[in-house]
Amino acid sequence: MALLELDNVSVSYGRIEALHGISLTVNEGEVVALIGANGAGKTTTMRAISGIRTLSQGRISFNGEDISRLRADLRVVRGLCQSPEGRQIFPGMTVLENLDMGAYTRRDSAGVAADLDRVLTLFPRLAERRKQAGGTLSGGEQQMLAVGRALMSRPKLLLLDEPSMGLAPMVIRQIFDIITEINQQQGITILLVEQNAQQALSRAHRGYVLETGRIVKEGSGQDLLTDPAVKEAYLGVS
Amino acid sequence: MHFDELIGHLGQHTVDGLSKGAIYALIALGYTLVYGVLRLINFAHSEVFMVGTFAVLGLWTAFGVKNNPPIGQAVLFLVLGLIAAAIASGGTALAIERIAYRPLRRKNAPPLIFLITAIGISLVLVEVFGLLLPDVAGGALPTLFGRARQIVGMPTIIQQETLLQIGNTAITNIQLIVFVSAVVMMALLDWFINRTRYGRGVRAVAQNPETAALMGVNQERVIMLIFMLGGIMAGAAALLWSMRFGFTQNSIGFVLGLKAFTAAVLGGIGNLRGALVGGLFLGIVEVYGATLFASNWEDVIAFVVLIVVLMFRPTGLLGESLGRARA
Repeated sequence: MALLELDNVSVSYGRIEALHGISLTVNEGEVVALIGANGAGKTTTMRAISGIRTLSQGRISFNGEDISRLRADLRVVRGLCQSPEGRQIFPGMTVLENLDMGAYTRRDSAGVAADLDRVLTLFPRLAERRKQAGGTLSGGEQQMLAVGRALMSRPKLLLLDEPSMGLAPMVIRQIFDIITEINQQQGITILLVEQNAQQALSRAHRGYVLETGRIVKEGSGQDLLTDPAVKEAYLGVS
Repeated sequence: MHFDELIGHLGQHTVDGLSKGAIYALIALGYTLVYGVLRLINFAHSEVFMVGTFAVLGLWTAFGVKNNPPIGQAVLFLVLGLIAAAIASGGTALAIERIAYRPLRRKNAPPLIFLITAIGISLVLVEVFGLLLPDVAGGALPTLFGRARQIVGMPTIIQQETLLQIGNTAITNIQLIVFVSAVVMMALLDWFINRTRYGRGVRAVAQNPETAALMGVNQERVIMLIFMLGGIMAGAAALLWSMRFGFTQNSIGFVLGLKAFTAAVLGGIGNLRGALVGGLFLGIVEVYGATLFASNWEDVIAFVVLIVVLMFRPTGLLGESLGRARA
């Protein structure tokens, strides 16, 4: 069943249209990767889904409900949470306070405590640094914090925008291992935006290729990995 | 220059300065809260304070409060005055945000438009209260035309008397009440911002509004909250002012608001504890300056000190932040 469905979605910045009627679906339990070059509209797509950007056309439905006009904070309540591009940690808050921000909309303190334990087990580095200010963490640690913070909302759908950005290859592998684990162990559906197409497609069930605001290709992760055009454009192989 | 007088009675001047600065600090919080979240200098905040003094005046007039009531009544009138001022000032601040700023935010107006709007609202409130003033004082129905603006006295609720004498330093009952209540109000606010869930939402919006929304924080609600909190603090300041100085006027907010804004900038605007430090610092500097030169020099000295401090510490004494550091 489709958990998230984008139907002919367009987004404009002033007079410039950044997304030209894209459609995609994410089914429950899947990891879906959205790949594309810089400026293809990946982040705009994420922002439209999480409600930071308003649509100029089209419709987004989540869990069977039309959320096209819903405020961003209420989409979190519905079970949609994003780890934004550039991590966007609250620099003046400690690691624990940042994680608590992820649970901002929740009232079940017992469930929040259990999820906090789970996140700290998933990311032992965060447990070590729980009292440290978020702004003082390394890039990899901030990425873990951003993912952990999003998990604290107990999302049905986790949106990850460029989780590998600016990280060393070792750390990237580690982050992707955890993403796979979140999907398989906790059963959380994931939509992933990446420039690192190799890692993203090899972990994803399905993928979409975005080019200048249009979806030009879709298929299973494996099919896209072996597609000659994708290989040439995004995997640095010819 | 009266160095001997300043040094000889340093303790006394410090006490006087602290109790003066405590009122500045309470008002300064309103500027700092709004700036911390919206990067907006709400110049109408001085009138939020002014409205609070009128709420106190109106309440005491309605109850027919006379000078020097018995202590039980005095406490009751102060508490009721605080509630009335907090509601009036908090409500005014909230109304200003809803009527003036929110529509501008919806239209993504540039910062300059907000500033002009703030000044406009400030003038409107000053003038409207100038027209209403004599009748509020007389307890009659308001007449909207042809009234002068004058200072209105309020009854003395607590007779000023020395409570503590340490060497040649005397601390009066009123100074103590003003200082302690201001610090208690600020401690409550500090706790609320740094220790509660709503406070964390405020800090999140201050540090990164977009990500705060992604975490499910309703930004509009946070904005309403900070205007209300700033208004309540200004209401508390209005009660303390009324108790200590016993008068008000439609234009009372102007200089006081400017001083409080100065205090906020001195301490580091956007920084709650900075408002306290800046307010107390400004109060002390004013009293010292007035002693050294003459009392009519205090405003000159206050603003010269502001300029000098900002030359050396452009972000204020404690730096700019809401709750904690902004990276």
